[in-house]
Amino acid sequence: MTARFGNWLDARIGWRKVWDTVFIRKVPKVNWLYTLGSASLFVAVNQMITGILLTIYYVPTPDHAYDSVQYITNQVPAGWLIRGLHHWGASAMVILVFLHMIRVIYYGAYKYPREVTWFTGVFLLLITIGFGFTGYLLPWDQKAYWATTVGTKIVSTPPFIGEFLLRIVRGGQELSAVTLTRFFGVHVWILPALLLLLVGIHMYLVIKIGISAVPKRGE
Amino acid sequence: MEETAPNISRRHFLSVATGGIAALLAIGFAIPSLIYIIGNALKRELAESWVRLGSASKVEVGVPTLFTFTIERQTGWIVSQEEVSVYVLTENGRDYIAMSNICTHLACRVRWIDDQNQFFCPCHNGVFDKQGLVVSGPPPRPMDRYEVKVEENQIFIKVA
Repeated sequence: MTARFGNWLDARIGWRKVWDTVFIRKVPKVNWLYTLGSASLFVAVNQMITGILLTIYYVPTPDHAYDSVQYITNQVPAGWLIRGLHHWGASAMVILVFLHMIRVIYYGAYKYPREVTWFTGVFLLLITIGFGFTGYLLPWDQKAYWATTVGTKIVSTPPFIGEFLLRIVRGGQELSAVTLTRFFGVHVWILPALLLLLVGIHMYLVIKIGISAVPKRGE
Repeated sequence: MEETAPNISRRHFLSVATGGIAALLAIGFAIPSLIYIIGNALKRELAESWVRLGSASKVEVGVPTLFTFTIERQTGWIVSQEEVSVYVLTENGRDYIAMSNICTHLACRVRWIDDQNQFFCPCHNGVFDKQGLVVSGPPPRPMDRYEVKVEENQIFIKVA
């Protein structure tokens, strides 16, 4: 039954070829460090699922943000779990993406013909850090408020344009409701859109070019 | 079983194992997600409780007497105060009835008009008698009643 449906669908959209290209592709003999990219992707999917679920209850305004987060944590069934997965997943993602980058550097996997894969990876690292920075403010507790006060202050350090840059990041002179909503918008719309786009390119290149083997001594 | 076991190829075993782990992960995400989304709907938020209105001696025999109190309601993370008004009536000083002043038509507030000996709703001219039964106008049913108890001369009603 399933096989028949699979055949029916394959005759129309050709999914088997796509499936085989993605999952049944040939890879060189590699080690466990080569799973760090897949691990990053898995945690990214975890962040997407739990992040979407959190928006069901979270409200990004100063008078509701903290209370709605407390409500998710203490009142909503399984809310502690969803928030916990998102919270710890965020740290895990930064660590995994970083380790993935270290592996690529260490094995020289960024070299020809994989430079573009590397470039997209660099931007993916920056996006991941951007997620971490914007997401840190959203619980709107003391730690979030002061961490973001200090973090945003850094953009004011360049001469002449520093003050102006700070006003762009904060949406004004002070950290306020405007800062919270723009961080929220960046966190749930702009960065996810960029992430999906770049992950798509990154994965296409990984599959198209194939992954690099472990370099041999003297290579 | 012993016959077929050697026939399972390494490739087949690994693909089944990978599929199995993927399925477990999918279920692991789906179940908490479902609980998270529908869990609130399964929870009864409003607990019943007895609210003290005041002294029973304030209620004149045969005249509905108005009591007001505020209750705290929590919806999500927002706590709000709600003012509740209740008419209490006794015909013999022993048995009490308590009626909500919210009109059963469109939830306006009804008023006891002493000279006419009836409740009147200003929105659409609904009229109820002393017991809260509909006399005239659009209300579809008598005024809503609360469960009442009197303990040590204090009137209590059950609020949901």
